[in-house]
Amino acid sequence: MTVATTPLPLSETFAPPSPSELAELVAEGCRTGMAMYPMGGGTSISNGLVPKRSGWGVSLANLKRTIDYPARDMTITVEAGVTMAALADQLAREGQRLPVDAPQAADATLGGVIATATSGPRRYGCGTIRDYVIGITAIDGRGTLFHGGGRVVKNVAGYDFCKLLTGSRGSLGVIAQVTLKLRPLVETTALVACELTDFDQAETLLAALVRSKTTPAAIELLAGAAWADDPVLGPTSAATKARLVVGLEGTAAEIDWMTSTLAGEWRELGVQKSHTINGAAADRLWSRLVEFPAAGEPPLAIKASVLPSAVTRFVVTALELAPGCSVQSHAGSGIVLVRVGEFTAADALRLLIAGLQPAAVKAGGSASVLSCPAGTELTHQAVWGPVRPEAAVMRAVKQQLDPAGLLNPGLASFDLR
Amino acid sequence: MIATRLLPLADELRAVVGTDGVLTAHSDLLVYECDGFVIEKNCPDIAVFPRTTEHVQAIVRLANEYDVPFLPRGAGTSLAGGCLPVGGGVMIVLVRMKQILEINLRDRYAVVEPGVVNVWLTQALKGTGYHYAPDPSSQGACTIGGNVATNSGGPHTLKYGVTVNHVLGVEAVMADGSIVEFGGPAEDPAGLDLTGLLVGSEGTLAVVTKAWVRLTRDPQGWRTMLGIFESVADATNAISAIIGAGIVPAALEMMDQGILVAVEAAFHFGFPLDAQAILLIEVDGLEAGLDRQRDRIIALCKENHAREVRLAASAAERQLLWKCRKQAFGAVGRLSPSYCTQDGVVPRTKLPHILARITEIGQKHGIRIVNVFHAGDGNIHPILLFDERDREQIARVLAASGEILDECIACGGSVTGEHGIGVEKIEFMHKLFTPADLDVMGRVRTAFNPHGRLSPAKMLPTAGACGLEQKHPGRRAAL
Repeated sequence: MTVATTPLPLSETFAPPSPSELAELVAEGCRTGMAMYPMGGGTSISNGLVPKRSGWGVSLANLKRTIDYPARDMTITVEAGVTMAALADQLAREGQRLPVDAPQAADATLGGVIATATSGPRRYGCGTIRDYVIGITAIDGRGTLFHGGGRVVKNVAGYDFCKLLTGSRGSLGVIAQVTLKLRPLVETTALVACELTDFDQAETLLAALVRSKTTPAAIELLAGAAWADDPVLGPTSAATKARLVVGLEGTAAEIDWMTSTLAGEWRELGVQKSHTINGAAADRLWSRLVEFPAAGEPPLAIKASVLPSAVTRFVVTALELAPGCSVQSHAGSGIVLVRVGEFTAADALRLLIAGLQPAAVKAGGSASVLSCPAGTELTHQAVWGPVRPEAAVMRAVKQQLDPAGLLNPGLASFDLR
Repeated sequence: MIATRLLPLADELRAVVGTDGVLTAHSDLLVYECDGFVIEKNCPDIAVFPRTTEHVQAIVRLANEYDVPFLPRGAGTSLAGGCLPVGGGVMIVLVRMKQILEINLRDRYAVVEPGVVNVWLTQALKGTGYHYAPDPSSQGACTIGGNVATNSGGPHTLKYGVTVNHVLGVEAVMADGSIVEFGGPAEDPAGLDLTGLLVGSEGTLAVVTKAWVRLTRDPQGWRTMLGIFESVADATNAISAIIGAGIVPAALEMMDQGILVAVEAAFHFGFPLDAQAILLIEVDGLEAGLDRQRDRIIALCKENHAREVRLAASAAERQLLWKCRKQAFGAVGRLSPSYCTQDGVVPRTKLPHILARITEIGQKHGIRIVNVFHAGDGNIHPILLFDERDREQIARVLAASGEILDECIACGGSVTGEHGIGVEKIEFMHKLFTPADLDVMGRVRTAFNPHGRLSPAKMLPTAGACGLEQKHPGRRAAL
């Protein structure tokens, strides 16, 4: 566990060994009015918001058992503290996977990935974690252990707590156990990359990918220093403004067909040179694409969600507002990650409140801080952007599940206490 | 006859939507006494037909003012009584809100009003290379608003996911009449995923007046196969083998001999009537990968004693096969005067077991049961054949349905994969969920629907499901 840098004001940290003991712990916290901070691997805890209330750390470190893995049903039920890497290893032994990318998978837990709705490049082709959680058990802010969904892949009985808790950032309940639906491992992958000399060309190629005959798993637009010297991507020239990388997954025959088809489609759009990345080099590049938001020291990583057609405009804005930043966009899905190197808290507040957040709203979406070095404190507005009207409904839900406001107080976007 | 105290409400509603948008005569309201679940019936006091979100808002405010229940309705094709107006009140019929407001191919979404019929969107997208993936068998009639309410599935959801996987956001009129947008065309909106919660909430949390839906790229090609089996057990074992081998077909459907006979009489496809079961299997995607998937599936069917695996030879034949499948329920009318379609889910490896149990349960209760269902998802749809004029048969149908659903629960499954709880399955909720689970669900409802006027007595047993215990046919009085 890498929670050493946590900004949370923890009086004590507990790591209960079973869901029922977790429920007892939370109930005990409720009785004493103790604030509680659920913790997985600690990879997403530091986002610039520093809670005021001292409280307990509620660690899932001892909840990582596999409850049931009926591989032929392609589902698995596990405790939420399992790390993404351990889960992936277990699934791979049965030729299966959860196709959701999470940085720092050796530490990041499944529960944490669900609570933060973490995603990565494959979301374009594979969807996000919300598409894979089919059952969930959690402890709400009253110490009540409850569950939603079930263990079958199709189920509409009752309110969908899987969706309610995905992305809830620990504000409604501590996620204890999860049932996932799974996918078969893919046979092989490849990535096709090209250099872009201007951003109009980027939008042309991105728009064309919507009509491509190929079926990309990932569509990544890369810009900035972090991508300048990657030997896998090849050297850049002075004219290089950005790179476009398309990730492909499938059988060898499908990959062969898609790589040549995509190169052909790009040639027709004026791309002189593209190259295909296979094998170990492809694995390395996929890994970089997944790890980008967490890489570097200390990372200030910002995530914007905008309309796909507004991605290039937003990327240009980000490069102008934060010279020296690096950008990765899951461009097919409208997600833009901006990583800023050197900055002060004042720089960060200005960049967010006066820069990236208005730009994201203009681009049809929103922006928030993914991670921020411990020690730098940001404001709620800087981290989450302007509060939207639907936040009132979210607070009403929170009021019902955590009436005393004990779970991650003040940390969720809608929680202004 | 409308209650005197509601006459001024009807007048105020007419002032909102016009005189042609309000029904109060009992004969007019009979249409709205039930959905596809015909065992419970009750007329609303008033049916109102808004054309705009602001109309819906005004209607909801008036219903609150007069303290009467209200609920939304689409095409009424739902099968669990989700739009049964328990306690009467105002039924908000959304079929006049039927505009496709926007189709944006660059950003891969469409914006629709709730009364848009599912297939209209796919028709509007024809030739663009995109479609709307959820394809319930009733897609020619059901509305997208209704699909959102029930989180509808369909044959192709095996690969592509159900409605909730394709809804990016909704605009909703809340129980207090406020208009709120959740999500929208951009992914990952900040805060809680209330879009995900609202989809499948069966109209008990808010009235959805607009939806942003994801559009899906058309596959480059298909291989559509018909596996013909001498026994149901062989067919279900083949399903387990295909899924267990890590193949995710676009669709994997089963029809047993009982339904096959009716479908053949209706559509003359040329199904072998002596087969005990057929599997309709479709893989789609890149042409470069399809033949290999096809060959693997054929081999797995053969290993499980398929008598024959036919390939749809042309696009027209594929269309006809899907027509047979999707309209199979209509063909049931050839078998019996009434039928009850059940909806249960089991882990996919339990299909051989549950099908055998369904046969036993049917025999035990003397009810004929035929099967056509989404086999790849483990989502069974046993169709119980009966005559609704015979009260004794109804009792046996209900008993057999209950036993089948109990068996689904015993297998680790669910009592509904896509039809919903509605009023039909409220009594099963305490078998699937603990009192604590149901308490939290009740709290979530309270957050949205504090006075309980919006679609009362649905889904949760704690919501006062009184008056629904008598299970008798509504048309009894007419006989």
